Amino acid sequence: MRIITEAVAGSLESSDLLVKVSPSRDKTLEIYVTSDVIEQFGTQIRHVVDDTLKRLAVTDGLIVIEDKGALDYAIRARVQTAVLRGAACKELNWEQLS
Amino acid sequence: MPAELRFHTVDAGESPQESKQIEQLLTESDLGWDSRVETFVVCRKGAALVACAGIDRNVVKCVAISPAFRGTSLSLQLGGELLKVAMERGHFHLFLYTKPDNTVFFRGWGFYPLVEVRDKVALMENSPIAIRRYCSDLRALRKHGGKIGCIVMNANPFTLGHRYLADVAAESCDWLHVFIVREEASMFSYAERYELASQGLSHIKNITVHHGSEYIVSRATFPSYFLKGKCTVDQCFTAIDLLLFREHIAPALEITYRYVGTEPACPVTSRYNKDMKHWLETADSRSPSIEVVVVPRITLRGSPISASEVRRLLQNKSLQEIKEMVPETTMCQLINCFGDQRRETEMTDGDDH
Repeated sequence: MRIITEAVAGSLESSDLLVKVSPSRDKTLEIYVTSDVIEQFGTQIRHVVDDTLKRLAVTDGLIVIEDKGALDYAIRARVQTAVLRGAACKELNWEQLS
Repeated sequence: MPAELRFHTVDAGESPQESKQIEQLLTESDLGWDSRVETFVVCRKGAALVACAGIDRNVVKCVAISPAFRGTSLSLQLGGELLKVAMERGHFHLFLYTKPDNTVFFRGWGFYPLVEVRDKVALMENSPIAIRRYCSDLRALRKHGGKIGCIVMNANPFTLGHRYLADVAAESCDWLHVFIVREEASMFSYAERYELASQGLSHIKNITVHHGSEYIVSRATFPSYFLKGKCTVDQCFTAIDLLLFREHIAPALEITYRYVGTEPACPVTSRYNKDMKHWLETADSRSPSIEVVVVPRITLRGSPISASEVRRLLQNKSLQEIKEMVPETTMCQLINCFGDQRRETEMTDGDDH
């Protein structure tokens, strides 16, 4: 799956996160995560993000995440939503989302 | 308590009463009313207006929160609402003006510092990497060694004045980088301006003609430039644009000289040129000085050749008089466009740097 248009999901509020996706210029996948709790949970957040993108088979795009201390399932859901919006995806493969 | 907070938007001029309340809130926060704001996102608690944030296309400014609500979750809600409004309007890449002391606060909104005028104002953008990417693209076009010069021009349209300035600069430099202002706020479209400038400069060998960007003389970095006639010269704010050039763009291309023509006609551009010496050469900055070279304009029968004069003659359908002021490539284009029908425009008429 490729990000073909800019899209966002989530919010800046506490325990949530804002995910912004946009097309990549050089067909790479770039991920930037900032978080209020990056010191404690940065590795775990990044793991959840990477795993979610991998399950969706995202091959290229720029993914920028502003995390406000969201739990894993919230991160997963927001990343999925932003990617599906950014990939202009109409047909969902639910197995990828589980 | 958060449940009682209500957010909504107010377009400029929509409600004089609300505008008055917004202005009062801004005053309380030591901020001025900015007439360029198109829409305010406001937050009310009951009848009281407790927060506001303004947007002017993709530029966020006039963000104020009533003292009693600072440090509460209101701020992040306000930021979220604002982003929603901006993105609904198709603006994903956002800039934000604030006081330097508040940049930490806006990190929470996903904005990152770009450039700062000490004790006065800071410009931020909502991307951790956009400026870095832009500069790395520029670095790929860098020419090493010697004396590297730069001109930023609107070229609206490209005249013999522009050509002369570039000739002088190219002659005294090992390499010359020319940027064409990208903003679509001129009589001639960006595509036309870029094309005519490229053609008019094609005889110079040691030159790169670059596409402009949001980081060089854009609505985001230099709003007053595109609002001539509506703003007075002293409102003109040039430091942000010039420091951005000095701290990001110039280092990427190893530019050490910036060339500019004298500006007898336009007060905003004249002020910009004057400020250039200060912000590029003498002001405190983390980046080294860039020498500003002011080149006197060439004249035709005693009058300086300028793009604004060409536009004036176009309005008067005086195509013949223009012939001596522009290169053949520009003239062909003018005859194509204006030979029989005149193009009307209410847009602002930015001149050149």
